[in-house]
Amino acid sequence: MSTTESPGTCPVHEFNHYAEMPFGEKIKFYDSLRDEAPLIRNNFANGHYIVTRYEEIMAVYQDAKTFSNSAVTVFNPEPTYRWIPEMLDGDEHRQWRKQLGPHFSPKAVEVLEDKVRSRAVELIKSIAARGSCDFMQDFANQYPSFIFLELMGLPFEDLDKFLHWEDEILHVSAGTAEETARRREVATIAVTDYFDTIIAQRRIDPKDDLVSKALTFVIDGKPVNDDDLRAFCLLMFMAGLDTVSATLGITFLHLATHQDDRQSLVDDPDMIPVAIEEMLRAHAIVLPSRKVMEDTEIAGCPIKAGEMISVPLNLATRDDSVYDDAKDVILDRHPNNHIAFGAGPHRCLGSHLARRELKIALEEWHKLIPNYRLSDRSNPKEAGAQLGPSGDMFLEWEV
Amino acid sequence: MKAEIDLNKCSGHARCFLVDPELFDLDDSGYALNAEVDIPSGEEDKAREAVSACPERAISLR
Repeated sequence: MSTTESPGTCPVHEFNHYAEMPFGEKIKFYDSLRDEAPLIRNNFANGHYIVTRYEEIMAVYQDAKTFSNSAVTVFNPEPTYRWIPEMLDGDEHRQWRKQLGPHFSPKAVEVLEDKVRSRAVELIKSIAARGSCDFMQDFANQYPSFIFLELMGLPFEDLDKFLHWEDEILHVSAGTAEETARRREVATIAVTDYFDTIIAQRRIDPKDDLVSKALTFVIDGKPVNDDDLRAFCLLMFMAGLDTVSATLGITFLHLATHQDDRQSLVDDPDMIPVAIEEMLRAHAIVLPSRKVMEDTEIAGCPIKAGEMISVPLNLATRDDSVYDDAKDVILDRHPNNHIAFGAGPHRCLGSHLARRELKIALEEWHKLIPNYRLSDRSNPKEAGAQLGPSGDMFLEWEV
Repeated sequence: MKAEIDLNKCSGHARCFLVDPELFDLDDSGYALNAEVDIPSGEEDKAREAVSACPERAISLR
């Protein structure tokens, strides 16, 4: 995190957003960037720009032609892979979203309600009698994984396998960068092989799950091929698990350290959906990137085609010019048209499912474990491609 | 009063649907069904709430 004199039109920093830091420091740093300038040059790795204010960030998301999803990590402007539908553009993206939409609409996710709720109750019951828990490991990482298995029609016995792969791909931080990369690759190959087997099985014996439904999708008049199906399954795995876990982590960390807010949800569970929106807004976890397709300008600074730009959602959702006291959590904030799920054509496909998962988790947790606090032995940090506590977050309560 | 929804901007957040599922119905994919919605008298506040709930700022009143 160093600043140097800017030779051009925007300030220059060198910031590795993957680095492990105590929880909360990254968002403070992003807040300081917003105050400093609307556009920042980050010289870390290959170099990229960070867009820091709501209006410019919205404009980027709503102009998918200039700002492409063909590369979505700032470190890699020329990826050799594509996650589906996230990394698609234009008409191909539209065709996928059109066919996926009905399975992720608010009405469609209602169908999962009973199964999700009974899983939440089962998990929380298994924790309640203990009087304490490692929140990320015992609850936040487990719960969305189950729903992912359910949605994809995968056997519950495979849960541990997926939790292991998820850890290796998304959380592992081994001694060296090479070792980390190697373990990620081994796990990615294992997940890919697993999905290859599932795709082959579903072709022969289709079931009532998302993999079987995706087999019937038609893109440009042709059935989806196995490569694209694999890319789709891999994205479902990556997008659906860690995001809900991280948001649960942030939400419970806030409630465990703000007893008035915790108590108001216990006293009035009807407030939970509004409270979730506020937690999503105040701590929007995703740090998306886009690739610039033609020479353009952001906040008066010229940007060349081929450059990568980072458009962190928290920089838009914590902007005081749009939300009063934007850095504060105001549990009953209203109105709250945040863009924690992004904006434009790539708006998070799973947003309605995520909201439901969060709502059910908060409702059932506070019925069974209404009074809890953060244990002194907690030391939450955040690392990796998004915000949110990665572990060392212990809750305790009287039993 | 009429609510106009810019269907090119609508990205399926469905926050207007949450405000009032009858006024702001969705298509099968979860996107706004109608580009124009007649707001019956007495429902104007709902329409204003939908405007302020939309993350894409796609709804306007006239």
